[in-house]
Amino acid sequence: MIEYLYTNAWGAFIVLLMFQIPFLIVFFHIVNKKAFIESKPGKTRPEKYSYYRYSWIALVLVAFVVVNSASIKYMPTVVEANSASDPNVKNVDVTASSWAFQFSEREFNVGETVRFKAKSTDTVHSFALHHPDGNLLFTLMLVPGAGTESAVVHTFTVPGEYTVRCLEYCGIAHHAMKNTFTVM
Amino acid sequence: MSAAINIIDKVPFFGGMFQIESNELNPVNTWPSLMAMTSFIWFAIAAILGVSMPAIQFMELGSNWYYQNITLHGAAMAFPFAFQLMVAMSLHRAGACLGKRADDIFVSLFYVFMNLGALLLTVAVLLGFHVTYTVMFPLPLVGASMGQWSMGTLVLGFSGIALVLTSMIFIYPIKILKMSFFEKTDDTLQVAERTLKDPGMIGMIMGVLVLLVTGTPLMIVAGSLLLHLYGIFPAAWIGWAAEPVVFEFVFYIFAHNLMEAMAIMIIGAVYATLPLCTADGSRKLYSDKIAILALWILLVTSVTSFFHHFFTMYPALPSTFAYHGNIMSYATGVGGALTIFTILATIWKHGIIPTPALFLILGGFVMYILDGASAIVISNVAWNFKLHGTMWAGGHAMVVLIAISALWMGMLYYHYPLMTNRTIDDSTARSSIKYLFISYIGLFYTFIAAGAAGMPRRNGAWESDWYIYGVFMIIFGVMLIYAFVLYFLSLTRSKSLDY
Repeated sequence: MIEYLYTNAWGAFIVLLMFQIPFLIVFFHIVNKKAFIESKPGKTRPEKYSYYRYSWIALVLVAFVVVNSASIKYMPTVVEANSASDPNVKNVDVTASSWAFQFSEREFNVGETVRFKAKSTDTVHSFALHHPDGNLLFTLMLVPGAGTESAVVHTFTVPGEYTVRCLEYCGIAHHAMKNTFTVM
Repeated sequence: MSAAINIIDKVPFFGGMFQIESNELNPVNTWPSLMAMTSFIWFAIAAILGVSMPAIQFMELGSNWYYQNITLHGAAMAFPFAFQLMVAMSLHRAGACLGKRADDIFVSLFYVFMNLGALLLTVAVLLGFHVTYTVMFPLPLVGASMGQWSMGTLVLGFSGIALVLTSMIFIYPIKILKMSFFEKTDDTLQVAERTLKDPGMIGMIMGVLVLLVTGTPLMIVAGSLLLHLYGIFPAAWIGWAAEPVVFEFVFYIFAHNLMEAMAIMIIGAVYATLPLCTADGSRKLYSDKIAILALWILLVTSVTSFFHHFFTMYPALPSTFAYHGNIMSYATGVGGALTIFTILATIWKHGIIPTPALFLILGGFVMYILDGASAIVISNVAWNFKLHGTMWAGGHAMVVLIAISALWMGMLYYHYPLMTNRTIDDSTARSSIKYLFISYIGLFYTFIAAGAAGMPRRNGAWESDWYIYGVFMIIFGVMLIYAFVLYFLSLTRSKSLDY
């Protein structure tokens, strides 16, 4: 469950709803009550406000710490750093320029772990890899002259046709800057 | 009669929203009214362009139209609409609270620079300068060198952007700082006295300082490039400014904090207005201290959270900055949480009078919090790599502008009687708020879901899987336009308070 939340963009959608729905319920309940049902001032004691205030801030802090702590092992920055000296990781260089990608290698097998190192030669591009089901696996922002390539490590678990796209607007043929490769 | 009133009187329909009589409060009313009216004209253009984008895809009119309209739509929504509306209301509020004139040379310069700049950019875009409103440098130069647009349109477009940025980064902040600290008080203009200790005033001053401080480096870099394009600076002088990394960072430090500054200002304005709508007449927030603490937390955490725009550059962006940006982005949520508590505790403790103005303000606040949650989620490093560059991010930029604008439109409802000596049409206003909120919710979740499904933003050739999101964009986009038409009608149908 936790792995799904952090390795799939719909996981972010679920967590977003977990933040938003309680807020909406409480907010509309209080506004509705005070606007239409019982508009006179509340008689809640001052210490009750303090209790709710501290409880609310504690809840927010705990939620934020838990959400971020649990995400650490799934952060692409962490995964890439941890695999820096792994000899089993295949290195693939990607060069982006308006409006095409060039790969040093483009044949991959299921189970293979690949480090994509990407750079741009002209303007800002991105190297984004879409799963055969359409979901975005990752995107790398490529700023020319950034000093080093952007990098990410990915393990292919599903065979099929993967689509590479540029997600940073790069001119009037930006939409045509895409490519595909097959994972066997 | 002031020049502002003359212009308003001559504009069909939109001018009818601000029928201002000559009286002693003209110095705080006329130019803000002209700015608000002009911002609504820009919105009308931007909204039609917004709905046109999915329509262009369905009718297969070509990507060039799409990129033209997305550039015009984004630029018009962010600058001459949302920002100009904010300036209009903040100048009126500052003038009436501090007893300072809002009709001097700074105000008229702001108006001219903002709208002339937006017009120049519009002409450049219509001539082919299709860069989108975020100006991903060095795309403007690369595009000109590749023949995507001419060098002439590049110079025209950059000149327009320079005028707009000058109005936002220098003219408006300097005017607010002058009003707050230096100009003499005119008692006849001070309708609702407030001190600089008031949370509303503090939020406004924080906001303009953020614009001035984070915008000045961008003006230096962009100004150097523009002077080179004019042939004044030789290429050897501007090599440092033409570095893509330099431009990208100064641009996003400003662009990110522009949104944060607008948010801090509007939260301050909510803190100032909500107590005026309490049922017990106490005119007090639950706690001024907690309100001010929330503003400070929002200010100090938002400044460096801009790193979340660059997480996916890793390792070109060292991971330490990514983690810092991640933590600071979530820390802004603590400021947001304190704000939520202060507002709800104020409502609970003092009760509220359910006027259209207050409902639009509270509705805008709900929109702002919903959007803020989406921004915080995407600021986690793990999720950012899966959502950056998708419709999730594009939707966040769009709906935060709608949320902030809705809040200022609620403020306009509240201040309308003072500005025009007229009262809004209540039932039309309530209908407008209802449709505005429904369309916002619809657009928000459409964009967020499209992003989660991997749909790219700013892509001129949609694939068949994405069309379903386009259908919802058109439905809720048209509803949003309808809500704004009702909003405009609630002002044109206003009645004089003299009767």
